Amino acid sequence: MGFLMDLRTYILRRLLLMVLVLFGVLVITFLLSHVVPADPIGAILGPQAPIDMVEKIRHEWGFDRPLYEQFVDYVWRVLHGDLGKSIRTNRSVTSDLMNYFPATIELATFSTFLAIVMGIPLGIISAMKKDKIPDHFARVFAISGISIPVYWLELVMLIVFYYQLGLLPGPGRLDPYMAYPPRVTGLLLIDSLLARRLDAFVNGLQHLIIPSFVLGMFGAAGIARMTRSSMLEVLKKEYVRTAKAKGLRERIVVTRHILRNALIPTVTVVGVTYGGLLEGSILTETILAWNGLGQYATGSFLYLDFMAVMGVTLFIAVIYSLMNLFVDILYAYLDPRIRYG
Amino acid sequence: MAIGAKDVAIVVLVIILVASWGYFLTIPPPTPVLKPLTDKDTLIVARDISDAVSLDPARAYEFTSCAAVNQLYDKLVDLRPPEYKETEPEIAESWTILPDKVTWEFKIRKGITFPDGTPINAETVKFSFDRFLKLEQMAAWVISQFEIKEIKVVDDYTLQIKLGYVVAPRLFLSCLAFTTGSIVNPKLIKEHEKAGDLASEWMTDHSAGSGPYILEKWDREVEIVFTANEKYWGKAPRIKKVVFKHYAEPTAQMLALKKGDVDIAWDLMSDQIEEVKGELGIKVIRVPSFFKDYLGMNVNATIDGKKTLGDNRVRDAIRYSIDYDAIFHRMKGTAIGLQTVIESGIPGYNPAMPYYRNVEKAKSLLAEAGYPNGFAVELISQPTVWWPDIATIVKSSLADVGITVNLRTVAAAEMYEIYRAQRHQLILAEWGADYSDPDNLAKAFADYTIKQLAYRNTWYDDYASDLTKKAAEELDTAKRLAMYDELTNYVLHNGPYAILYQGVYQYGVRTWVEGFYPDPTFFLMDFSAAYKEAVYG
Repeated sequence: MGFLMDLRTYILRRLLLMVLVLFGVLVITFLLSHVVPADPIGAILGPQAPIDMVEKIRHEWGFDRPLYEQFVDYVWRVLHGDLGKSIRTNRSVTSDLMNYFPATIELATFSTFLAIVMGIPLGIISAMKKDKIPDHFARVFAISGISIPVYWLELVMLIVFYYQLGLLPGPGRLDPYMAYPPRVTGLLLIDSLLARRLDAFVNGLQHLIIPSFVLGMFGAAGIARMTRSSMLEVLKKEYVRTAKAKGLRERIVVTRHILRNALIPTVTVVGVTYGGLLEGSILTETILAWNGLGQYATGSFLYLDFMAVMGVTLFIAVIYSLMNLFVDILYAYLDPRIRYG
Repeated sequence: MAIGAKDVAIVVLVIILVASWGYFLTIPPPTPVLKPLTDKDTLIVARDISDAVSLDPARAYEFTSCAAVNQLYDKLVDLRPPEYKETEPEIAESWTILPDKVTWEFKIRKGITFPDGTPINAETVKFSFDRFLKLEQMAAWVISQFEIKEIKVVDDYTLQIKLGYVVAPRLFLSCLAFTTGSIVNPKLIKEHEKAGDLASEWMTDHSAGSGPYILEKWDREVEIVFTANEKYWGKAPRIKKVVFKHYAEPTAQMLALKKGDVDIAWDLMSDQIEEVKGELGIKVIRVPSFFKDYLGMNVNATIDGKKTLGDNRVRDAIRYSIDYDAIFHRMKGTAIGLQTVIESGIPGYNPAMPYYRNVEKAKSLLAEAGYPNGFAVELISQPTVWWPDIATIVKSSLADVGITVNLRTVAAAEMYEIYRAQRHQLILAEWGADYSDPDNLAKAFADYTIKQLAYRNTWYDDYASDLTKKAAEELDTAKRLAMYDELTNYVLHNGPYAILYQGVYQYGVRTWVEGFYPDPTFFLMDFSAAYKEAVYG
């Protein structure tokens, strides 16, 4: 009971701090985007737009007002839930985010799942067979996961599995000839099930294989290494020896005593990986025609689309902060020695 | 040290890996087998559609949006495939210029309707024009530049448009063919109007046109889907469904094309074209574009206290020092020769190419101008696609005549800020014609009062500017073309530009696609004539 009371205070405190952090993020992003010597209106309207048109549109958007006035106006709007309008897409930043985020959620979720499925067993094997061949193999796999450029691996997989062998589908979330199910959540797999489109569901899953495998490999590396090192730590502990001495079966020792403790730090890595993937992955999205947050974010940054830049940054900051908070709470739940408040 | 089982295992493993890699290398690429044509009624085009902002003809100004709008709407006149050379009647059946020389009278085609049955007449055209003039977006300038004084409905099928000044016929007509001039359905507009926006928000992703296709949906960065307008007043399209499928990466487009998953790959680069050229089942269609790349020289830029580029001998020297051959070699088939400001394909095109790399001549010109030892200058360029290579070629070409180039690479957003503010010295840039008439280019390159390229490069030349204005008003076609001949030659030898080349669009297309004629701009593309037929061999 006491734990729960402390937890509530802790969460409240964290949320308040989060607001401060977000405000700081806003200020920094705003200043940085206005300090850069580039003109978003001129860039977005294109190199051939006449000067008077550029000035006229700049005035229409209010970008010729003094900086502090623009900032105050923006913060006021954010507090009312309005993230402004993107100059590039001419739609509200909120609807843009709602449009692109679901694709990223799907990809991030599957990639993290694969990262866990690949990373944790590798880490365990590495630790249990330390310095033997499986350990070496696992470490090579881990390093490859981090070092091999994501875009290169994706292109290679496209060429080999899509083009040459025809085993996996190509870019995009669905085959070119297949119609999308009606959009309810934006999550393709869920929408297919809701519309009872089994063909789209299966096809969508197939299309997820290449990007989530590659991104998963990248995440698996960190997870494997953390699992390995924390398992090695735990293996040295007294209670493990005690458990073994008690004559418990290897499996019980591993699962109940070792893993449960060793996986705690891994939870942090998984959280960070998932949070990072939720920001979108521009390279993957470009190569595999995935309309996720990465494409939107990068496009906004390159054109200095102020509203979109601030909106995306704020959005990602919120997600990341919430993810961190969640992981910390999970941590406290898993490890009774940790107490907040 | 004794050799243990572990070492043997490692060696065996390495041998197996190397052997399989070697084997893999010897596997021939899949034998190109002619894929069977599975769907005759759907045309899938792979393209990066992320540039589209709105499909409202009053707003559409990007490549993808204009190409899409052109399938959905009709205009008073149009330029049609295969050549896209002359303006032809579309909604307007005929037209005359009235004796006051500024009023145009159009006879509207009788008996044609929108797909929902709403009739098209002079009132409809007036409504459409009033709409885009009122919304006053970027795209509107193409037609509003003529200072339209009045649009009058004379009778049900006769419309008069009074311009602010005399305009050459071909000029006005080619502007009317721009997507802004699309005729929209007043009934649908009134139905979906919100807070006086003339349905602009609804029109962002809905169509209200009479064209050969109707917009089924637009899923941003996923696809744009067009379905055939069964009630089209003209010739019904053979392809029932056209899909612009989003592929941001040209390599992915190429792979999909090779697999037969898409019918047309729009954004292939020269390397990919090389790869698909001659492959069974694929053909490459090339069309000279209305884009050209050039080197801009800021006439008023102060370099070491002197207005070096202000002396035309210096500009001529630069034009004589560039290694044009190296540039063509680098562009690998996506460039054709051009040194004047009007592209091939537009009336007024001037094929003169007097400049070629002549280091001696360049050096003597520089010496004459007072720079026997050359000078140092800054060149601004973008870091994307082919620009870095072109910049390097320019830099080394100029180095050979004694001009030291400091290369400064900036992103587009920053570059155009600098360019519009006239703060550059040398700059590498691109310009595309907005409509198929020489005036478009003359105004941009020769008329500083318009505040486009001549202005940006501070070339305040009254002779060029006056000639441009006169040629825009000349009603006699032969006289007009003679003026452009004079103008282009003048700009060629005195202007602040070294035109490098005219771009060529290359499309990878499956051989079963027929009737696909890409246009040199981005807004005249017409898919209604396309069809798919199995071709063997």
